[in-house]
Amino acid sequence: MAHSSRSFKTQLLRHEVLLLLVLVLEIAYFLNFSRNFGTPDNLSNIVRHSAEIGLLALAMMPVILTGGIDLSVGSLMGLCAVLFGVLTHDWHWASLPAAALTVAAGLVAGAFNASMITLLRLPPLIVTLGTYSLFRGLAEAITQGTKTYRSFEPAFLQLGELRPAGLPLQAWILGLGALGFYVLVHRTTFGRSFRAIGFSPEGSRYAGLPVLWRTALPYLLAGGVAAVAALLFTARLRQARADAGTGYELAAITAVVLGGTSIFGGTGTVYGTVAGIAAIAVLNNGIGRIPAVLKAGIGGELASLLTGALLLIALAAPGLSKLLQSVRKRSTLPASAPPSPSPTP
Amino acid sequence: MPQPTAMKRSQFLHSLLVLPTALLLPGCNKSETGAGAAGAGKKLTIAFMPKSKGNSYFINCEKGAREAVQELGVDLLFDGPTNTDPAKQNEIVENWITLGVDVMAVACENKEGISGALKKAQEKGIKVVTFDSDTTPDARSFFVSQATAQGIGEGLMDEAARLCGEEGEFAIITATLTAANMNEWRKHIEARLAEKYPKMKLVDTKPCDDQKDKAQQETTNLLGANPNLKCIMAICSPAVPGAAEAVKQAGKAGAVKVLGLGLPSENRAYLKDGITQSVILWKVADLGYLALHAAHALGSGALKAGDTSFKAGRLGELQVDSNGAIILGKPFVFNKENVDQFDF
Amino acid sequence: MNRYFRELSVAGALVLLLALLGVVAPQFFELQPLLSRLTAQVPTLVLTIGIAMVMITRQIDISVGSQFGLCAVLAGNLLAGGLSLPLALPLAATAGAAMGALNGCLVAWLGLPSIVVTLATMVTWAEVLRLTQQGRFINLPAGVQWLGLSQPAGQTALLAASLGLLAAMAWLLKNRSGGRHLYAVGSDAEAARLSGINPKGTTFWVFVCMGALAGVAAVCNLVQSPQVDPKCGTGLELKAIAAAVVGGIAVNGGRGSLWGAFVGLLLLATINPALTFLHVEAYWEKAIQGLVILLAVVADGIRSRRNAS
Repeated sequence: MAHSSRSFKTQLLRHEVLLLLVLVLEIAYFLNFSRNFGTPDNLSNIVRHSAEIGLLALAMMPVILTGGIDLSVGSLMGLCAVLFGVLTHDWHWASLPAAALTVAAGLVAGAFNASMITLLRLPPLIVTLGTYSLFRGLAEAITQGTKTYRSFEPAFLQLGELRPAGLPLQAWILGLGALGFYVLVHRTTFGRSFRAIGFSPEGSRYAGLPVLWRTALPYLLAGGVAAVAALLFTARLRQARADAGTGYELAAITAVVLGGTSIFGGTGTVYGTVAGIAAIAVLNNGIGRIPAVLKAGIGGELASLLTGALLLIALAAPGLSKLLQSVRKRSTLPASAPPSPSPTP
Repeated sequence: MPQPTAMKRSQFLHSLLVLPTALLLPGCNKSETGAGAAGAGKKLTIAFMPKSKGNSYFINCEKGAREAVQELGVDLLFDGPTNTDPAKQNEIVENWITLGVDVMAVACENKEGISGALKKAQEKGIKVVTFDSDTTPDARSFFVSQATAQGIGEGLMDEAARLCGEEGEFAIITATLTAANMNEWRKHIEARLAEKYPKMKLVDTKPCDDQKDKAQQETTNLLGANPNLKCIMAICSPAVPGAAEAVKQAGKAGAVKVLGLGLPSENRAYLKDGITQSVILWKVADLGYLALHAAHALGSGALKAGDTSFKAGRLGELQVDSNGAIILGKPFVFNKENVDQFDF
Repeated sequence: MNRYFRELSVAGALVLLLALLGVVAPQFFELQPLLSRLTAQVPTLVLTIGIAMVMITRQIDISVGSQFGLCAVLAGNLLAGGLSLPLALPLAATAGAAMGALNGCLVAWLGLPSIVVTLATMVTWAEVLRLTQQGRFINLPAGVQWLGLSQPAGQTALLAASLGLLAAMAWLLKNRSGGRHLYAVGSDAEAARLSGINPKGTTFWVFVCMGALAGVAAVCNLVQSPQVDPKCGTGLELKAIAAAVVGGIAVNGGRGSLWGAFVGLLLLATINPALTFLHVEAYWEKAIQGLVILLAVVADGIRSRRNAS
């Protein structure tokens, strides 16, 4: 048991270390071959452009760790952006109270997901598929689909551009978020139970964990974080409309899984997620700066393709080696080879 | 146990090594050509952005732009959003700023949203022209316009009224309810309707998600739910053939008129069969051609604020109005008779 | 009664909606437009059959929309280049099956989670399609639309063929051992393995089958119009998954029937035209779709809790 848990740990470590290696290789490559990749302006753009997806990924990580998923975060961003627009424009609130209420609304929406999932014990995939449509639908209904809220308070718009101590504000927020989630997941007993729940909800219940409440919390947080992301997005884009955050849920899930969190729950680290976010953000930015890619104008397509490939390679590598291992075992010890346990969910 | 672990690690490393090498190989060749081009002289670098990629309208635009690139001998960077993320255009503009381009030509998806990024570019000394759809006037020097939103909206409404004999019900199919430029057109369509055609009625507006099949389904529903419908106005390009197919399948060809904004090549058969009556569009390739010429003239100093006219290659001398708009010319109305004269 | 609670309650909701339409907007039931509306759902129905099988096996496939688009464009280009129509179907199905086999390999033999695998292949095929076709419509030669038949005959043929496929697959799933294996693997892969079923093989073939059905669906779409829109597959995966979920296919595998998924699809596909006929503004559509999905699962949850206690 001790041995297996150690090899388990080393494997985990290996995933994150290798991902870091990929990141370093990416950066080294782009520094050499991509135009103006290493300029301070560009580096700060990488952070600014990936802040919202990064925040969503950080919040998605504990959700996936408990064995769940939240497909509604992108739609919730749209709803929160619209709500903020309604509060500041139609109701003439100041930015600060409007932002506070928007975050509160995000928490309520997260609580709605959480209560459906925990109290009614419904599958998270389906519940959040429903709220994925519902939240976006509400955002469209409120704005009648067409309304765009523009011209916010200058102080609020500064959120998109501020650079306290030389770093873009988004970097500070992202860093704080990462630290917060790191402490929650890795440094509190509360957060450690996410892993236990993801590993075996029944077992956790028998072990005396308040499974319901602790499963609910990640969804609640995801709702609040989606609202914060919506505010940042609105400040950066200078407009609030129902289509904010379209498709961001899949980008966030991609970052979390690339970061080594098992989609079935139970294993994963916050720093892995951070590395996943960074690897994707750097790839997206750097690939389009390679002169040949620039000339052909296929940066966006290539970045998506390579992200998909990277995800598959990261996932397949351990499986492939396991497969080869079992083939090898079978060829050396044909008689006594035990059947390899099937890794189906 | 050590053996399989070693296996695992080597497997891991192998797969990870393949990736960067695969990236390196094309990178090496091409970075040389890039460096060569940069060293050859002080060519202008013009960055050109459509509203979205993988869209036949903007592919035609790009064709025209590339024709102008050949004539003018500039470096062209072409990029645009590949998905529906509304922030994508801003990110590309901010990336171009750090790439050090000389001029940007942008078809703006979000009028207000992109203005901040474009102003940032101007602060760094990058010249900005917009084409197809404008940003706020303070965020660009010139706007290359195929026609104004008002012109398009009123043109569509007038043509619909003409087809219906100025009375009866009609419906609109749009791309998505959030598409900014189409909402602008709809505003002008509705204003024109209220002002000039009291006997016409807009019964419904449906989104088709920029998909032909969805436009077809929505039109089928509209035809069933509104038996007195006399006209379908499709204001995004995939919706025109979609609406026409629905009218054809409902057996209402001719009884229900179809008009819209679209490419002649996608509507030729329906025009000839008398299902679609009119398709309105400008020469899209010329729009891209003109945008690039304007960008070049602005970048090389041939075109300055306050100029009232400007010479654009094969298009000749064009007027510049007081708002900095360069107008391509009146849009064409394609119909049964003239559609074969156009090859886009 | 209890066993088919879900199917019956969804059917009940559908009947209510149709009754409402019958009273408020009887023109909804005019034969010709109704036929067109139903035929337009044939491609989604074929995809829903596949998705239901994948979900019963406790997997998911979100790449079907991209597979569908790629198959449609491939078949469309070949038809435009002179391929004869009868060859298009096997060709598209084979192309789809090949893409499905890739998913199947990665999921079954490498043990990767299907949601992530198909997320990656979804993106990959979508980008391949964008890079190769660039959004251009394909004009098909005359004689492809409605398989060269008259419009009503073509529509009836498509409807009959897809319903035949549905009935055949439903029967196979319910009555043949190969079909029962899906439920066994979906309920408990380990138990299935111990009782002599090969869960990996089953999973692999389900994905191959899904891919082939995506190809078939693409052809069913192609023959309904004289042009192919390369964006035709966008978002179809969510429609098919929603139909299966509303129709009572359990996302945890092992439960549900194709007939249930069929009724789920009919309900969801009726909501959109119903809004038009009832003159509800278009911007309510997504919210209502989401509510229906939530209502369906909440009903399930409450019922299973009541049964448990």
